[in-house]
Amino acid sequence: MSPEPKAPGADLAALRRRLAGTRGRVYWRSLEEVARSPSFLAWLEGEFPGLVGAIDPGLDRRRFLQVMAASFAFAGLAGCGPEPETRYLVPQVEAPEGIVPGVPRHFATATMLDGFAEGVIVKHVDGRPIKIEGNPQHPASLGATSPWGQASILGLYDPDRSQAVIRAGGSSTWERFSSLILERREQWQRDGGKGLRLLTGTMTSPSFAAQIAELRRRYPEARWHQWDAANRDAAQSGAMIAYGRPLDILLDLDKADVILAVESDMLSSAPGHLRYARHFAARRRAAEVGARMSRVYAIESAPTLAGSMADHHFLLRPEEIVMTLFAIAGALHALPDQGYGAAAPPWAAAVARDLQQHRGAALVHVGGDQPAIAHALAHLINDSLAAPGATLRHIDPVALEAGDQLGALTDLVSAMNAGAVDTLFILGANPVFTVPADLGFAEALKRVHISVHLGEYFDETAAACQWHVPETHEYEAWSDARAFDGTATILQPQVRATHSRRSVHEIMGLLLGQLSPDAYQIVRGYWQGEAEKPGEADFASFWTQSVRDGLVAGSSAKPVEATTLPDLGARLRPPLSARSQAPTILFRPDAAVWDGRFANNGWLQEMPRPHTTLTWDNAAIMSPATASRFGLADENVIELRDDQNTLHAPVLVLPGIAPDCVLLPFGEGRSKGGAVGVGVGFDAYLLRRSDGLRQRSGVSLRKIEGKWRLALRQHHQMMAGRPIVRTGDLDSFLRDAEFLHKEEAEERKRHGEVEASLYPRRAYDGNAWAMAISLDSCIGCGACVLACQAENNLAVVGKEEVLRGHEMHWLRVDRYYSGSPDDPETLFQPVPCMHCEDAPCEVVCPVQATVHDSDGLNLMVYNRCVGTRFCSNNCPYKVRRFNFFDFTAKDPRPRESWNPDVTVRARGVMEKCTYCIQRIREAKILADRENRPIREGEVKTACQQACPTEAIVFGDKNDEASAVSKRKASPLDYALLDGLNTRPRTTYAARLYNRNPELAEG
Amino acid sequence: MAGLGPGSNLAMKVGLIVVLGGTALLLVLIWPIPWFDYNTQISLVQPQPVPFSHKHHVAGLGLDCRYCHTAVEVSASAGIPPIETCMTCHSQIWTNAEILSPIRKAYASGIPVHWRRVNTLPDYVYFNHSIHIAKGVGCTTCHGPVETMSLTWKGQSLFMSWCLDCHRNPGPKLRPVDKVFDPFWKRGPNTPPPDELVKVNHVVTTGLTDCSTCHR
Repeated sequence: MSPEPKAPGADLAALRRRLAGTRGRVYWRSLEEVARSPSFLAWLEGEFPGLVGAIDPGLDRRRFLQVMAASFAFAGLAGCGPEPETRYLVPQVEAPEGIVPGVPRHFATATMLDGFAEGVIVKHVDGRPIKIEGNPQHPASLGATSPWGQASILGLYDPDRSQAVIRAGGSSTWERFSSLILERREQWQRDGGKGLRLLTGTMTSPSFAAQIAELRRRYPEARWHQWDAANRDAAQSGAMIAYGRPLDILLDLDKADVILAVESDMLSSAPGHLRYARHFAARRRAAEVGARMSRVYAIESAPTLAGSMADHHFLLRPEEIVMTLFAIAGALHALPDQGYGAAAPPWAAAVARDLQQHRGAALVHVGGDQPAIAHALAHLINDSLAAPGATLRHIDPVALEAGDQLGALTDLVSAMNAGAVDTLFILGANPVFTVPADLGFAEALKRVHISVHLGEYFDETAAACQWHVPETHEYEAWSDARAFDGTATILQPQVRATHSRRSVHEIMGLLLGQLSPDAYQIVRGYWQGEAEKPGEADFASFWTQSVRDGLVAGSSAKPVEATTLPDLGARLRPPLSARSQAPTILFRPDAAVWDGRFANNGWLQEMPRPHTTLTWDNAAIMSPATASRFGLADENVIELRDDQNTLHAPVLVLPGIAPDCVLLPFGEGRSKGGAVGVGVGFDAYLLRRSDGLRQRSGVSLRKIEGKWRLALRQHHQMMAGRPIVRTGDLDSFLRDAEFLHKEEAEERKRHGEVEASLYPRRAYDGNAWAMAISLDSCIGCGACVLACQAENNLAVVGKEEVLRGHEMHWLRVDRYYSGSPDDPETLFQPVPCMHCEDAPCEVVCPVQATVHDSDGLNLMVYNRCVGTRFCSNNCPYKVRRFNFFDFTAKDPRPRESWNPDVTVRARGVMEKCTYCIQRIREAKILADRENRPIREGEVKTACQQACPTEAIVFGDKNDEASAVSKRKASPLDYALLDGLNTRPRTTYAARLYNRNPELAEG
Repeated sequence: MAGLGPGSNLAMKVGLIVVLGGTALLLVLIWPIPWFDYNTQISLVQPQPVPFSHKHHVAGLGLDCRYCHTAVEVSASAGIPPIETCMTCHSQIWTNAEILSPIRKAYASGIPVHWRRVNTLPDYVYFNHSIHIAKGVGCTTCHGPVETMSLTWKGQSLFMSWCLDCHRNPGPKLRPVDKVFDPFWKRGPNTPPPDELVKVNHVVTTGLTDCSTCHR
């Protein structure tokens, strides 16, 4: 066992000493690595940590060998003779039209996060949806997907989804439920719906809006409330302060030369983030094609993806962020300057000057986790920078009745407490879990006469309601939704709903008196009503076109003119805030399971969260300095207590959190709602209050006994002490584009490395598949990891196995830090298989299970592999994954959801990235059938297709016109561990920083 | 070695010869077992719910392979015909035949008949029909003389070595692309020589023996 880690105070000091003793830019992966803590070294010594516990203690070596010998003998016997099992061919009785067995079909629809649509295309094989891709025509996708979009297909097949109508714990039927509602209707008709309340998540659906309007017309006393735990109230309140009305902002990041990102979610989760990421990254790569690179400043209290892309990153406490915005606004004369500059950090003036110099090409973006006043200040600054119309646009809010979700929810809870709510419909939301603890939603729910929950899972809210109706998945029902820019998508079901599952529209139809509501009729009826307005004669073709394309043409919102209120600058005052001794708690949605809705999704639970690389958990995350102030270290358990609740949480020390702040991601800690998510992490909602949704103080922190193991992917696959990530400054690049290659040559000379090989060089005359990954573009979102998981049938292994380093992701996103541990810069580096031309793994395989093909790919032949793991030992990049157990057999996912084009690997087999060989082969067969070469762009790897920033480019490097050849021709292109002469096919483009000379450090 | 006696040397020699010779003999006897039809299942007729005769439908009636196996030119799988394909004719002829009752029952009930697989490959082999058809590999080249099969049997071993024989040297197994579906085709005096067929049919010979051609 490894010794208990020392208090990080000592480690931190050691770490600073070690960093101080180095020259130049040094990259480090984790605090433990750089401090060389004893626990870390102990970890490194053990080749397979935790293996001892994995072996059955009742099985000694002798007995084990006996059993194995017998098994081999019988296996040998079974090997002779024909396959004993009879296989059957089961034809269809009547062939459905358009399905050719084995040929995939694609259907457009959308996936949603907090009501906002992301256009997707669902791939079907033999009638079964198996993979999600982005819809290139859809403005919010542009062909890319978010991790949630990728994982949505697993949600569709989740066996834990609720299947029956349940009344007070016992099973019931839809008929009984609907007759009850139809009975209630008579009363609502009499009293105008007094006491009828609806609670949903954020809605953008036009059909739902029409249904709500109809409901209000019939029952004028009925009320509708919306609640999402990660709602965008603050942005709307900010717009109310600045413009006197709610507004949405659309960013045109391709036009922005200077960006100030204030804990910005523009690249991670804000509506439209995939599109923003695409445009953002294009400007980050601009220097390579001779265009102008953008400059990004980030100020934040908790790490964001935008912050890790910044040229200048400033870590500030929440109240300092607001003060800094005041200072910048003051310096820009956007508001009467009352000496704010003096209270702000010195660099604020330089940032303001840079913004000012790029008037008309600059913008400030404030993330949804920031308070309303920060949003209002951003509007003010943007206005003075002439950003509206240039780098951003205003539109009317896309979300229905956007504004004050918290206020509406508070109204609802007080009405419930007052006994004024007779019937409450909770449609597709989980308020018992997500409502701030001080509102006491669960208690209030007991005073409601009839409570109905429509949800995909039998979750916390379902258990607290009298009725539970299973909800359709977004791929199971007709619906519609709008994207960030108002573009509407008609969602078409990908499979037929089973188990009396109903959609929101159908429940609404029931409320409106339809005896057998049908979502198709409701949605189609709405659009027919829309289309029959003058000019839209042929509805059938409009409908077909819209459903097929996955969007309604011309439905995006028109920009509106908005001017800031005249006295705004004078009205804004910095809030008074006293810094207390107790830590400030920051509440942020979990990067994978969001507000808890994806908690039962194994892919998302096992996705290493950006920055922390944490899987299967959330943690109380704090900076090294804060941790040492409280005497805490990784995996310590702390007790957080306020006057109402107490919770226990593991500590995770992470550079890049503001001083004296503790970041609590909410969404984990589910108590109901599926076998995967229950019992993972802790419930941070217990401390969330309605007056402190994103941050609060008044929480006492105390270390308690115990250890909470955290399944971090951080230390696995170390690549210590070598130039793995390369960076440079834009200035040096512009002076000498070849600066990086010169550096490399120097290193080689210094290490005495020569480019020579004992192996004869092989020519690859056909296709030479290769990949180029731009570190300038990778934002670390993790969409590629999940796309790979979905495409290549990667198994989910669970927390225990991740702790042992047995995770199966073929593609990992490594995280590197540089600079001081108090406010470091972050870099992300996706690492798939390098497909070395001289592959070290191949020469050590005793059974030739990993070999090259004629296109130069390094491939696994699973049926040859005997599991010696020599290849993994000899891989310098550590990209090979081994099936230590029969992970795939244990996977609860139904068989029909696996990708039929990829072998499902069994226990004892090595596997790794194949560059999506099944896609290459499919394209090759198609091209070969037509007697032509494969065209550029015909093969896309799953990671490349999902990547929102086009950081990953794949293609034929023999084709000089291909995108990958152009990327590789860049002077920034370099190979990982070049000195090993492995000649990798995957190469990287170094990251450039566009530093402000005024702020350049010595 | 006093205890073993004078004849021990000879006994040892004879013993060794018997053991080694026996082992060698056993190996020689066992060696060809994989190629026995018992193992390869070549010519083995499986009991089927309906004794479907390819001989009658192909040679007798002259149905094209693609009438039933519709996907063979565009998909990895050739496609097994839906019951309604049978019923296109058998709703008109042999409507009361006893042997066709499983078909009629399936059509009426919606529960399909279960055919036993005759040709089957392991799950880690990704065979694609369409590319073989496109490059001039005839149906009967792999499936045997289907036009003579009153009951369907397996025509070839489908061993990997058998696949590789052709992937290493495809020419001799090719035929003109327009003859792929002709079950009676034989190499004749006017047939182009193998090397020319490789060219005419645009067979790309590099990479045909890559593992990834069939295993992914």
